[in-house]
Amino acid sequence: MGKTYWEAFKEAGISRREFLKFATYITGLMGLAPSMVPKVVEALETKERIPVIWLHGLECTGCTESFIRSNAPYASDLLLNVITLEYDETLPAAAGILYEENGKMVRSGLVGHLDKVVEEYKGKYILVYEGGVPLGNDGRYCIVAGRPYKEDVIELAKHAAVLMSVGTCASWGGIQAARPNPTHSVPVSDLVNKPLIKVPGCPPIPEVITGTILHLALFGMPPLDDQGRPKQFFGNRIHDTCYRRPFFNAGQFVEKPDDDAAKKGWCLYKIGCRGPTTYASCGNLRWFGGISYPIQSGAPCIGCADKNFWDKGPFFQREKGIVLPNVEVDADKVGVAAAAVTAGALAVHAIAAGIRHAGEKDDEH
Amino acid sequence: MIPNVVKKSFYRFYLFQPGLRIWHWVQFLAIFVLFFTGLYIGNPFFIGSILDPTDAYGKALCMDLIRLIHFAAGYVLLFGFIYRLFLMVTKKSHFWLLIPKFWKGWFWKGIFDVLLFYTFIKKSHIPLVRNPLARTAYFFVMLLILFEIWTGFAMYGLSNPDGFWAKFLGNWTLALFGSEYELHFWHHVVAWIIALFVMVHVYMVFFNDFIAKEGELSSMTSGVKFFPEGHLPYDCDDVASKEECKRLKGET
Ligand code: HEM
Ligand code: HEM
Ligand code: SF4
Ligand code: SF4
Repeated sequence: MGKTYWEAFKEAGISRREFLKFATYITGLMGLAPSMVPKVVEALETKERIPVIWLHGLECTGCTESFIRSNAPYASDLLLNVITLEYDETLPAAAGILYEENGKMVRSGLVGHLDKVVEEYKGKYILVYEGGVPLGNDGRYCIVAGRPYKEDVIELAKHAAVLMSVGTCASWGGIQAARPNPTHSVPVSDLVNKPLIKVPGCPPIPEVITGTILHLALFGMPPLDDQGRPKQFFGNRIHDTCYRRPFFNAGQFVEKPDDDAAKKGWCLYKIGCRGPTTYASCGNLRWFGGISYPIQSGAPCIGCADKNFWDKGPFFQREKGIVLPNVEVDADKVGVAAAAVTAGALAVHAIAAGIRHAGEKDDEH
Repeated sequence: MIPNVVKKSFYRFYLFQPGLRIWHWVQFLAIFVLFFTGLYIGNPFFIGSILDPTDAYGKALCMDLIRLIHFAAGYVLLFGFIYRLFLMVTKKSHFWLLIPKFWKGWFWKGIFDVLLFYTFIKKSHIPLVRNPLARTAYFFVMLLILFEIWTGFAMYGLSNPDGFWAKFLGNWTLALFGSEYELHFWHHVVAWIIALFVMVHVYMVFFNDFIAKEGELSSMTSGVKFFPEGHLPYDCDDVASKEECKRLKGET
């Protein structure tokens, strides 16, 4: 039997007072009301620490970089005390063969560290995916420990309690899935048939990753939206939580990234801000413990948590254009041109009608 | 073909109840407002003078106000649409004149005939209460309007993720389109398609009024269209009972 959180805390020499502070803190982090603190304490006292397996696919590992920078609880706290991170390719001290062969055999047909972990925690572990899954060329674009990543994705999901995809790569396919998607990279959700919680973002805000894992560990699945994202972190548009919103409402816009309005901190809508169409917590949680976020530093949001954001027109343009052969043109320009052509055609028709039907009178019918 | 010799003796079809006529013009006003406020939302600019940053808010003609007008007109369009659906059950012509009856012979005959007439190859076309081209166009434009209502209220509702519109439309629409960015794009594109329809529609109405002399323009004000005696419209069934059509045809 594994230890409960409280037991693990005691062993680590953490005082009851610290423990309660921690419980209060994570209650806020999970987006729960203060009245939930007793429930959180109870869960921490009675639930066993949940084992986590963290897989890496086609990616840049930026999500892990973000995760270990969680301001609070410090990722180390989380790793050591709240979850038991049983398997991860990037964080442990040992790597490669030393890590994989910690058991007797390696994954490709043999039993390695990963297999041991799976065996021990069958049906109990949270499986976290980071990175996309390339299907092209039989999955050979991403080989981990001698075997195509896509096989691990499917195999390990079978024994997991719950699945979670961290980052835009695992959730939507990632930058490598941009047209024409040479590796045929797909999101994990295309391959597995189990409840999956999506935490997109490139990378996601650290507190969002930890908050979601905490919720999974203590209370199971949080409420999800129709795309499988936890509502407490992805329920609102950045636009609806943005501190520049008053400038949007007032109609005061930055026209060029270096103009006077930009210096005054007006709304970035016209230089392509994706805040109005992106659902994430950047506007309220912000980054690095609330220091800033892209819009606050004067750069329009590029919508990195949004599905297929990489294929949605130039980042510094508000809306993608209509694709004509070889060019992409602003929808309004196409519209005006089409209206002009139509008006011209109708005028010609009207003149022709005048000539053709000249001299007809009402009573000639 | 309507021969020249028949002297003026018209019979009238009462097609549109006042409710439908009022609906048509209310919808026209709503779309007029929606289109231009929509273009502004897509590419806003400031109208007024900014004395200090907080001064503009709520005072000048600005994004907030234009969006409010857009959403208010959106509600008018929505309720109008629902009302139009309700009208479909109140009167035969309110239902059938909007349906492209592609399964009928006269539908295809009408399309060719009307096309020949519009391209000046023929001087007139077979008598029809509402020609198949117009039917098809109206049917599809109603679908486009429904699309705008759908995508519009989905975007509108999502600012309150637990509100009625988000639950009713927003969430699944977002999942369907993958991203709200796509919703904006298609909402914008379809706005232009509707605008192009209106241009052609208005021209066709005037053309048919002046050239074909079917009382087209007045039909949306008085509710009545005229047909010369002895030339029963092929789609008479859509507006009158079978007996009435037979009687008009002179078969009884
Ligand atoms: C936003 C602009 C407009 C839209 C979306 C629109 C749409 C429609 C639709 C859907 C119908 C079919 C009515 C039905 O049976 O339910 C119709 C009929 C009609 N509209 Fe419009 N309309 C617009 C503007 C106008 C304008 C500006 C005029 C006047 C010049 C006009 C004149 C008429 C007439 C006379 C009819 C009856 C035509 C017939 O029976 O074939 N419409 N319109
Ligand atoms: C024929 C009807 C309509 C037309 C022509 C129209 C046109 C437009 C246009 C051109 C835009 C700008 C799109 C963009 O570039 O982002 C827009 C935005 C929008 N429209 Fe409509 N619209 C119509 C109906 C509606 C309805 C019924 C609603 C429902 C309330 C609605 C709600 C919205 C919303 C929420 C936006 C986005 C506003 C924002 O991002 O601030 N629209 N519309
Ligand atoms: S989602 Fe972004 S940060 Fe995360 S692994 Fe993919 S590319 Fe890197
Ligand atoms: S800066 Fe972006 S997110 Fe903020 S109000 Fe403007 S458009 Fe919306």
